[in-house]
Parts: sequence; structure tokens; C-alpha cells
Amino acid sequence: MSKDVIVTQNISKTYGKPPLQVFALRETNLRIKQGDYIAIIGPSGSGKSTLMNLLGCLDKPTTGNIFIDGNDVSTLNENELARIRREKIGFIFQKYNLIPTLNAQENVELSMGFAGVDSQTRTKKAKQLLDLVELSKRLTHKPSELSGGEQQRVAIARALANNPSIILADEPTGNVDTKSGENIMHILENVNKKGETIIIVTHNMAIAQRAKRVLRIQDGEVQEEHA
Amino acid sequence: MLSDHVKLAFKNLRHRMSRSLLTLLGIAIGIMAIISLLALGEGMQQAVTGELSSLSDVIIVSTGGDMFSSFGGGGSTSTGEYFTQRDIADIERIQGIKEVSTQLSGSGLAEYNGKTTVLSLTGMEVSVMTLQYASQNLEAGGFLTEGDQNKIMIGYNIAHDTFDADISVGGRIKINGEKFFVSGIFGKQGMGGVSSDSIVLMSSRDFKKLTGQSNISLIYLRVNNVNDAESIAATIQNAINENHGKKDFATATTMTSILKTVQNIIGILQLVLVGIASIALVVASIGIMNTMLTSVMERTREIGIMKAIGATTRDIMSIFIIEGVLMSGVGGIIGIILGVFGSQALTLILGSFMSMGGGSSFQLVPIITITSVVLAVAVSLIVGVMSSLYPAWKAARMSPIEAVRYE
Repeated sequence: MSKDVIVTQNISKTYGKPPLQVFALRETNLRIKQGDYIAIIGPSGSGKSTLMNLLGCLDKPTTGNIFIDGNDVSTLNENELARIRREKIGFIFQKYNLIPTLNAQENVELSMGFAGVDSQTRTKKAKQLLDLVELSKRLTHKPSELSGGEQQRVAIARALANNPSIILADEPTGNVDTKSGENIMHILENVNKKGETIIIVTHNMAIAQRAKRVLRIQDGEVQEEHA
Repeated sequence: MLSDHVKLAFKNLRHRMSRSLLTLLGIAIGIMAIISLLALGEGMQQAVTGELSSLSDVIIVSTGGDMFSSFGGGGSTSTGEYFTQRDIADIERIQGIKEVSTQLSGSGLAEYNGKTTVLSLTGMEVSVMTLQYASQNLEAGGFLTEGDQNKIMIGYNIAHDTFDADISVGGRIKINGEKFFVSGIFGKQGMGGVSSDSIVLMSSRDFKKLTGQSNISLIYLRVNNVNDAESIAATIQNAINENHGKKDFATATTMTSILKTVQNIIGILQLVLVGIASIALVVASIGIMNTMLTSVMERTREIGIMKAIGATTRDIMSIFIIEGVLMSGVGGIIGIILGVFGSQALTLILGSFMSMGGGSSFQLVPIITITSVVLAVAVSLIVGVMSSLYPAWKAARMSPIEAVRYE
């Protein structure tokens, strides 16, 4: 029986005050286990991004608690959240979001740097990860010198750098061609097979079907599609 | 960790190369101005100090209040009253005085090349003469030497303007019917210093012999111990004022007090100049702040990403402050280097102005002290920190959600 990586207890997110209150996310209870492969689907404005921000510790819930690896993160301050983000969570964004002034290797090393990993270990790990995403020949290339697919693979390597408990991927294939998208999904699924927890937000039903669990969000309410 | 921040900051600056260079140029110019003005001021201080401190055992007693009128040619006789032999005797009685000499003032009828005119004459001991006029350069000839008779030194105007024809060294002037040979001519003094342009200088002995007068306008004395100079000066001033029954008949001035006054004046001048130069630095620091704020705006996304992948508020602050400090630090170093050349150029320009007003032996050499370099570095670093503080704070406050737009 694998352990719980994320548990949410009645988390909700509202903006404004009654009577003008807007529910971005209604009370949600989730249990995400180690090694899960989850797709979150739903139309624009449904609350997907709110849920992702909460799960990724970028934002705090209005009510309820979030436990990551058993620790309540809903009461942490900004710097403590930053620590949780770099230790427990790996982000992959639709638009890659690499730092334009840094080359591939430096981008992968960056979050390890924030985590205080020494430079020798960092370099070794970065090379290893870029090898995993088949970019060992592109170490010193700047993002502007890489294709979309390549940039996204650098982003995957960066997300894996601090051995996170969860990978949060937002439309990871949204900006790349089908072939590169397939490659990216393949890499992510391989990572998942090794025991990494993966949560993907997507519009693409074909990608959502590949996941083991699908969560559908509609008007701020989360529903399990099939268990 | 810090080295990572430095690396990140450096890469960012390099990424925006021309903007960074222009910004640090502002700092460089400010620091250059400060360094070269400090160097010039220091050079002035040292030149003056060097010249005056060799005379630190000297006390000059003059009539009237203003010490500077006494510190050159004629001596102030505005009161019409001169020092008396009793004054001299009183001074000689004071303990700790090495030698006393006097400067005599009077006038005589001078004739040269058929033209006759009245000139004011100054007589003093040859040794004193050499000391007192040591800082003034000669156009031709040399100083009088001990034992010279019927020899004079004349100022630039006497040599070139007073008579119909120019007088050169070896020239012969008749004063009160007595023949005098010109042994030295002072260079044109102009506005640059104490005027010796209209002086006719002779030994005390010649003066007395010639005029039969001994109107003492200035007493020149040296003390055994430099440390006693101030107290002896005060004693002399009291004694002479008492003799003449006036409160402010005489002023006894030590070289040390002249030195202090001059140094104070130069110090104030320096402060004012550096104050003006600092305006350049204020402008430059606004430049840094402006550049950094623009940079923060442009990098909203980047900052968000860094926060999303785990950068703390402190990490972001540190990266931006280091960026500011790098710019101002490099600017400061360039400014110091430019300042070294700038001070040389400034000296050349000032020097050419000075020589236009007549040659002077007063050599101005810019001196760049360790203190001014340390000050410049410190100031530029402080400017860097101060002007990047607000942009850094703004950057650190940005929400990571900004970068992570899902829709």
C-alpha cells in the first residue's frame, strides 16, 4: 500500500466577501497516493488553475488544510512555502518557462541552487537528468537555441532536479507538435513508472485517457471520472 | 549560494549589455568627478603644506589686522604708524626666540633711462628675504646673497612697465642718487598669489644707508621650539599693543596658523566641489533604480518562475541587489581609473590658467589617496545597494502565480 503524497481536507478558495463572494474552488477532498498518474480536465474558468496553484503550494486555501507528505502546508508563510515547492514539487509549464539567460544545464541546476545543493553534485545531477530526457548534447544551449520540444524536456529535467514528491504538469504538450508531445508524454510516463507521482492538467482527452485517474472540474467542483 | 546569485545577476546584466553599460557609465562619471576633485584638493593641501611647513618656526608681526597683507610685499602701513625700537627690544627679551629681523618700508626717487619716478622700497635681512620669497619664481637673475651691497631685486612691473625701457639683470637704477644693480627680477605674479610685482627689495643695511630711515613695517622672527610659536606670538602681540596703547595695532601670525587657515579654506573648497560632484552620483543612482525597475517589470515572468521552483524572497532580493551592486561597483572601479586620468587633465587645465597669469613655482600635482579610493568604492557600493533596494523589494514581492497562468 503506497503512502499518501497529498491529502486535502475540505479545501476551498473564494475571492471577495459575501454577498459578492466567488467560489473558485468548492470544498474539495482529495487523496493522492505515491505513484499516482492523474489527469485534471475541465473547461476554461472551471477552477483547474486554482486547484493546481493550491496543490503546487503557490497559493493558500481560504478554508481547509492541505497535507503534503503528511505536513500541513496551509498555515505556512511564503518562505516556508518556497521551501516546500523546491523540495516536494516539480513544475512543468505549458510555455516551458525556462530562464532565458541560462543554458540548459544551468536551468536544471537553478532549483538545486536554491535548495543549497553544492555545485559538484548539481552539475552531475543536471547532466544525468538531461541525459534522461535525451538532451546530453544540448547542455550549453540557451532556451532560444532549442526547439519547443527540447525546451519542454529541459523543463522536465528541471522539475525532477530536487527529487520532488509530485510533478505538476500544466498542458505539457500544449505548445509542441504531436511527435514531440508523444516523446514528452513517454518521458513523463517512464518517470511515473519509477514511482514518481504525476498530475497533468490538460484539455487533450487523448492525453487524459492515458492517466490512471481523471479528475474533472466543473464550476469549482471536483469529480472523479473513473477510479 | 551567494556565488549562484552573483552568477545569475551577472548573466542578467550581460543579457542587457548596452543598458547595463550606460547605467554604470553614470556611476563612473560621478565617481570620476569625486576622485579627481579629491585628488586635486589633496594636491593643493600638500603643496601648500609643504611650502609653509618648512617655515613653521616663523612668526610674522605686522601692523594692522589682516595677516595676508603682511605676508608678501609692502607691509601694511595704513595706520601710518610703524614698529618702534622699543618693540624690537621687547621682543628680543622674550625667551625662546632665535632671531629677529625686520622689514623696513619707505620710498625713494628712482631714475632709469632718463625717467624719474617715486618707488616704494622694502628692506630686509637677506636671509629672511630668501625665505619669504622662496615660493616665488624668478624671471631672471637670482636672490641677493649675504654681504651684497647696492644690489636690488625688483618685481615684474618695475622691470617692464614702470620705466620706458625694460630693465634686465645687471641693469643700473639710481635711487636717491645712489647706484643700484638689479640682481634678480621676480616673475609676473598676477592674481595667482601675493603680489611682488611692484616691489623693490634691498638689504636692510642698504635701506638704512640710503633712506636714513628705519620704519619697521614688519617683524620677522624665528623661535627655537615650534611648539612655543603660538604662545610666543600671543606674548608679542600683547606686548606691542601695550607699547602703542592700542588693542589691535599689531598682529603676530605664526606659519602654523596661516597653514591651518589655508588648509581650512582648501578643505571647505574641496567639500563644496565634492558636494557638487555628488549630484552626479545622485543622478546616477536614480539611473540604476530606473534600469532595475524596468528590468523587474520585464522579468515578472522570470521572477515568478524562480519563485515557483523554490526561490525565497531573500533569494530574489539578493539577486537584484547584487545586480545593482555589480553595476555600481564596476562603474565605481571604472570611475576611479577615469578619475586618475581626469585629475591629471584637470591639473593640466588649471596649470595652463595659472601660467597665463604669470609663472609661479607653485606646482600642483594631483594626489590620489587610499582614503579617497576606499571612499569612492564604499560610496559606489552604497549607491548600488540603496538604489536597488526598492526594485529588489518590488521583485521579491511578486507572486509566483503570475508566471503560472494555466488558462
